[in-house]
Amino acid sequence: MRALPRLALIAAAALSLFGCSRPHDDVTRITVQRIFGECRSAGAGARNPDGECEIITGLLDQFQRENPDIRLKVNIAAWPGYDQLSAQFAAGDPPDLVTMHMSAISDYQSRGLIEPMGPGLESVGVDPAAFTRAAREGVTKNGQVWGLPFDNWAPLWHINLGQFRQAGLVRDGQPVLPTSADELLAQARQFKAATGNPYLVQAMANETASYTRNLYTYLMTQDAVFFTDPKHIKLTTPEAHRIVALFKQMYDEGLTTKDQDYPAATSGFMNGDGGVYLVGTWMIGTFEAESHTPGRPLADGYAVVPYPRLFGTKDAAFVDGHAWVVPHRDRTPAQRAAVYRLVKFLADHDYDWSRTGHLPSMQAVIDSPRFKALPHRQAIAPLATIGQTLPPQVQRQFAIQDIIGDEMASAITGRKPIDTALADAEHRVNDLLFHLL
Amino acid sequence: MSAASPRRSSWTNGLFVTPYLVVYLVLLLYPLLAGVWLSLHKADLFGGEAFVGLENFGRLLRDTVFLQAVRNTFYFVLLTVPPLAVIALGLAIALNRPTRAAAFFRGVFFSSSVLSVTIVTLIWRLVLIPDGGLIANVLHMAGKPPIPLLSHPDLVLPAIALTTVWWCLGLPMMLYLAALQQVPAELYEAAALDRASRWKTLTRITLPSIRRTLVLVVIIQCVLQFQLFGQAQLLTQGGPNGASRPLVLFIYEVGFRRWDIGYAAAASEILFGLILIATVLQYVTTREKEAVR
Amino acid sequence: MSALDRAAGRNPWIDRLGWAALTLAALVMVAPLLWTVGLSLKANGELLRDTASVFRGPYTLENYGSILARPAAFRWLANSLLVSLCTTAGVLALSSLAGYGFARLKFPGRKWLFALVLFGLAVPEQSVIITRHQLFSALHLHNTYPGLILPGLAAPFGVFLMTQYFKAIPVELDEAAMLDGASRRQVFWKVLLPLTLPAQATLGIFTFLSSWNDYWWPLISATRSEMFTLTVGVASSQINFAQTSGLGFLMAQAVFASAPILVVYVFFQKYIVRAVSGAAVR
Repeated sequence: MRALPRLALIAAAALSLFGCSRPHDDVTRITVQRIFGECRSAGAGARNPDGECEIITGLLDQFQRENPDIRLKVNIAAWPGYDQLSAQFAAGDPPDLVTMHMSAISDYQSRGLIEPMGPGLESVGVDPAAFTRAAREGVTKNGQVWGLPFDNWAPLWHINLGQFRQAGLVRDGQPVLPTSADELLAQARQFKAATGNPYLVQAMANETASYTRNLYTYLMTQDAVFFTDPKHIKLTTPEAHRIVALFKQMYDEGLTTKDQDYPAATSGFMNGDGGVYLVGTWMIGTFEAESHTPGRPLADGYAVVPYPRLFGTKDAAFVDGHAWVVPHRDRTPAQRAAVYRLVKFLADHDYDWSRTGHLPSMQAVIDSPRFKALPHRQAIAPLATIGQTLPPQVQRQFAIQDIIGDEMASAITGRKPIDTALADAEHRVNDLLFHLL
Repeated sequence: MSAASPRRSSWTNGLFVTPYLVVYLVLLLYPLLAGVWLSLHKADLFGGEAFVGLENFGRLLRDTVFLQAVRNTFYFVLLTVPPLAVIALGLAIALNRPTRAAAFFRGVFFSSSVLSVTIVTLIWRLVLIPDGGLIANVLHMAGKPPIPLLSHPDLVLPAIALTTVWWCLGLPMMLYLAALQQVPAELYEAAALDRASRWKTLTRITLPSIRRTLVLVVIIQCVLQFQLFGQAQLLTQGGPNGASRPLVLFIYEVGFRRWDIGYAAAASEILFGLILIATVLQYVTTREKEAVR
Repeated sequence: MSALDRAAGRNPWIDRLGWAALTLAALVMVAPLLWTVGLSLKANGELLRDTASVFRGPYTLENYGSILARPAAFRWLANSLLVSLCTTAGVLALSSLAGYGFARLKFPGRKWLFALVLFGLAVPEQSVIITRHQLFSALHLHNTYPGLILPGLAAPFGVFLMTQYFKAIPVELDEAAMLDGASRRQVFWKVLLPLTLPAQATLGIFTFLSSWNDYWWPLISATRSEMFTLTVGVASSQINFAQTSGLGFLMAQAVFASAPILVVYVFFQKYIVRAVSGAAVR
């Protein structure tokens, strides 16, 4: 016990050393924060060379190798990364470059937490005119560019062609898709009768974002204005009711998988749980790789298409995108230069990133033969023209997505009447937006 | 220091408590008072605040999501504390003997306590999920369909409670064991000579002797389980539709996702108020029992 | 005890039934752990197809190899150990001093101050976490070791426990030592502190475990990966998709993260139980 105070003293001294020591040398240090998970980079023996994680890890490793005068510190945040980022901003210690969904930019931009990137992009020769329209609009607020767009993504229908064939839903090698809600129900019943499996695979436990994206897309095809202004949502409408009612019907008839969370639904689809998995562009590379693995359920054929129009008359799809943004903080000119050198590198490697399945943010890449030669890219190319975002001034799009998804899940699983759930969602979202400072 | 006498009141005597008091004042009392002040404001995580009086509290009382979180929290305490108190006691009584087997079992039942919440939830997700989880696999062998333990609103809190009981069993067991070792062996010898039944020995000797530890265990577990956070955040994110969102997760979401820290501070004060009431109640009841004896 | 049981004419079958129940409970207890170890020994690809493949071979150490290839997990482990040990040492030092002060010495405002500390027992950590985060931001303490350690030192439980314990030690001991010419400081160090060893052990284990398991504070304070504790680090790699394609790896990480402290526990369990048993929780 005598040693106690001495121990405490030594501990305190050690702590202050740890806390204050900062290496000083002529290497420029910058911190990059990203989502997409932790893994070994794509290369010999990589499990999934076209996965998001493998590609981004490989790119950042490559940049580090080619730029020995810069020391990259890579922080990996859990998806979607905003809890950690908000805590960092609140602590006044944000990273130098960070991945951000285009739908989240307005939250941080409106509070002056991130820098306009126009001059910086210009200094390294990245011209916003080279971005695709969707990408440029996603990062532009009040006439200024707030991020380097990395991709656009959208939820898609990923299809197990083998099972579709079994159900008689393949014609000329193409999947037969419904053109109305009634057709969807009819085809789904036919599918179930033939294969014994549910038609849809959906992630609906733990994370309900995919419900919200379904709603957005089908409200857009009906040309419904659900944000009357950026502070008010309108969901108690026949258009919204119709959509929820369809998914509820699918659920009630057992035409969808139930109770799966995101990992379970993803592996479930790969294991042949059902015909169509509603998930985003980011899975194309992974599922394509599965379809080339003999003996796996997807080896009998894999296709991917934008959401077929089930309601309304307009071709539309909800899209979002990933961007790289530069948080406001003190930087030396050398650090600033290093940040933009990395930005330039990422812009130059947009094609590599598009191997994941995401739509490139650079028009030149979309137009390039090597991109068009990637599998399924023709099928999803229309997204570049029909893709829509929420109105760019709408803040808290992630929180809104959670609220709507939760309430929709309640309605679809029959725990709340549809109209009550939609009214609750509307009320909660408007309450959230009303109380924004 | 030697000049300072314990019998005489002296400022220098106070030096012993000063280091702790400084830490306490700066890191607990100041944040508490600052939180009360903050709760009277409409304030953003990134600066900017306006005085709004008690408006945040009025908002809370009308907020169905908040009220649901309060209900969930109480329900969770009810689901976890009694099993923890009773099962741990049973284990402690059974394992309070100096054999190798007992030591082994003590180790087994304490082992989960050293795991961190992230590991616990990582493990238990793979136990609870209906697609390939351990329970689902066992049910499958018995020819039964899987149970959606994490996505059914009526099952999700019991599932988290099960996880929590599994995780937290060790500490109360240790506290009971410690208390049991203090019970004079003569009492048991006398009981044995009187041919007292096991039940009588338990209710007449064991329980009265460790009554204070029992109260202590219940108090500690109430306070701990009232602050449920990690298990819910990592296993379900409070879902489905808020069915497993506890009070602390509500505070976290409002503060760090909605950046509405004035509102989050108000919810924190309510959490504080509830725990304060619980503590005072327990203090008063134990005091009364003392007085009766 | 069994001799006594026989003396009391008790049925040995109840004992056997008890042990059977205990064994069953122990199995339930370790099943999730064995399940985890099993999963960690399977190839990720095979688990993707069917987790029930755990119940048959082949097994592989590949997932553990992947961990060794990445130093981050070691850093998190070291951070957790450093933070937990420093917090424990700090709490023991502060609580012993304060407990002695409150229990044995007189100074102006003592009762009032002790009541203030008791009041702190009713303050849950979570209710002060937002303003504490603001305070640490202002002091630039986030992403530092002191930033992770200091909040643990403020909890009043230790002071309360040590005060009670010191009070339970007869004052005559001090007086006898004083008569022998010992100074107040010597009384504290040589006479009283050794007697509080059981309480120190209880408090130490309690503090170490709660610090080791702390989640919310490091989640918002340690936001750079080199400052992550194990809890936060493992949470950060628990990305949704990793649970699909890297299940075996995640489980290996869980085993890796838990093994050291489990081993320490198994090794010291005898001492821990003995120490705790002597504490003042009657």
